[in-house]
Amino acid sequence: MTASGIFAEGIDMTFTRNRMTHHVLSAVDVDIAPGGFVSLLGPSGCGKSTLLKILAGLQDPTAGTVLIGGTPVARAVAEGQIGLVQQKPALLPWKTALENAAFLIEMTGDRATKRTAKERAAQALELVGLRGAENKLPHELSGGMAQRVSIARALALDPSILFMDEPFGALDAITRDQMNEALYDIWTRTQKTVVFVTHSIPEAVFLSQTVHVMNANPGRISLSVDIDLPGPRSTTSAQFLEYERVLHEELDRNVEEARISA
Amino acid sequence: MSTDTVTIAVRRSAHGPSAGQRIAERWSALWPSVTLFAAVLIAWEAIVVIFDISSFIIAKPSEIVMETIASWDLLMEASWVTTQEIVYGFVLSILLGVGLALLVVRFKWLDRALYPLIVLFQVVPKVALAPIFILWFGYGLTPKLWLIVVIAFFPITLNMIVGLKSFDPDLQLLTKSVGSSRSQFLAKVQFPTSLPYLMAGLRIAITLCVIGAVVAEFSGASSGLGYLIQFASTQLDTPLMFAALVVISVLGLVLYYAIFWLELLVARFYPHVRTTQVQ
Ligand SMILES: Nc1ncnc2c1ncn2[C@@H]1O[C@H](COP(=O)(O)OP(=O)(O)O)[C@@H](O)[C@H]1O
Ligand SMILES: [Mg+2]
Repeated sequence: MTASGIFAEGIDMTFTRNRMTHHVLSAVDVDIAPGGFVSLLGPSGCGKSTLLKILAGLQDPTAGTVLIGGTPVARAVAEGQIGLVQQKPALLPWKTALENAAFLIEMTGDRATKRTAKERAAQALELVGLRGAENKLPHELSGGMAQRVSIARALALDPSILFMDEPFGALDAITRDQMNEALYDIWTRTQKTVVFVTHSIPEAVFLSQTVHVMNANPGRISLSVDIDLPGPRSTTSAQFLEYERVLHEELDRNVEEARISA
Repeated sequence: MSTDTVTIAVRRSAHGPSAGQRIAERWSALWPSVTLFAAVLIAWEAIVVIFDISSFIIAKPSEIVMETIASWDLLMEASWVTTQEIVYGFVLSILLGVGLALLVVRFKWLDRALYPLIVLFQVVPKVALAPIFILWFGYGLTPKLWLIVVIAFFPITLNMIVGLKSFDPDLQLLTKSVGSSRSQFLAKVQFPTSLPYLMAGLRIAITLCVIGAVVAEFSGASSGLGYLIQFASTQLDTPLMFAALVVISVLGLVLYYAIFWLELLVARFYPHVRTTQVQ
């Protein structure tokens, strides 16, 4: 599927729990070009996951509209345009890596795609570097490998947008670096649009075209930084470090504000 | 993010012990209880002989063995009747237990309406229902099946409900992201997830089925092992009573192990059945 852009305007989200209202997102606008890689960075609890779910059509905002490729997001979901990767791999323990990668295709109604599910899953596994691990069960996989399967499961759907919520947050630093390179590689090869939530500044700078830094209570985008570096990026270049510094400053300020307002 | 290759820590699960090793292990685990059991039998035999206890009161193990051989056909005929009751009752209990659990989990209003009633029903001493079922359904198979199901479905339902609710919410969001329905999620994710819990429920239920069958036969029957025990008791045929008791116990044991076998079978397709710990 060709990559789609995302256009969201005036996103507002209020949760009501025990008659207490919690204003989580306020007037958030996002405009992501087809094939773009955009990261959301911000203090814990500022609404990154909520925003991601709203953009992916998995949660209805209190106010605002989300368009994917110019059409309402609900239609994008129905058409299987959404690929989702979360922090935990969430694999089915009784299915092999291949079966897990094919699982979501088999859950969608389309007969024609179902028939090719295994084939597409195998291709996706190869893309994430898991060739040869097709028949392993989840308990035989490391955290990094399991997360690769979960990325393959999303890619096998051939979505127009990949939504990733701290996908490498639970991995050790070495595996995480490797996963970042793998994801960068996948992104350049598949040219998917990617929305990426992270806590890691180097990760955001390494991968993104644009980084949105968020503020809490209510969540807003406080700073957007276009990372104007050619890829593959060197994490030690002066420019890279400068981007890191700018984002760090903003994030620290937002974390401090969130601490005070909480 | 250098271009150096880094290795990913891979845990490859170790291969288990060979079949021969497993049998040897089984035996070394088993022999203390086998020895103790033999000792109890010998002591039992000795006490009855030494104190010259009447065989109306208690039968010697040797007598029970002789009686079992002598009344073999009678015992097997009765066992067949009881086994059928148990197996049919067990299957019906599974159908009812699993069906109820699926409904309760799928429909929120049913959960609220039905669940308290199921729990309330659990405090009714169901053994006391046996005469009522006989009043309603006569002396045939039907009242036995009713009693068995009423006694045995509950642990299946309860375990199954817990199992169906133990899914990973991340998976729910994933299936939602491809626009699949709640029923699909129930069938493809929740149901397989619940299998270890179902198996634990079946293990409890099968022993309850044996109890249900025997109690139902006590209350009114013309065949079966429970009936045979009652009949022998009115005839003061104590050795036959004990022989029937032994046969029921063996039957219960065989059925209990049949569940393990079933579990192994299910585990060939759903390996997590044997690795998930159910409290
Ligand atoms: N379903 C919900 N009901 C009530 N509050 C929620 C719900 N989902 C998220 N929240 C609240 O919204 C805030 C933002 O959550 P989240 O988007 O998960 O933050 P982040 O991903 O940035 O850490 C948190 O305070 C959280 O408690
Ligand atoms: Mg989050």
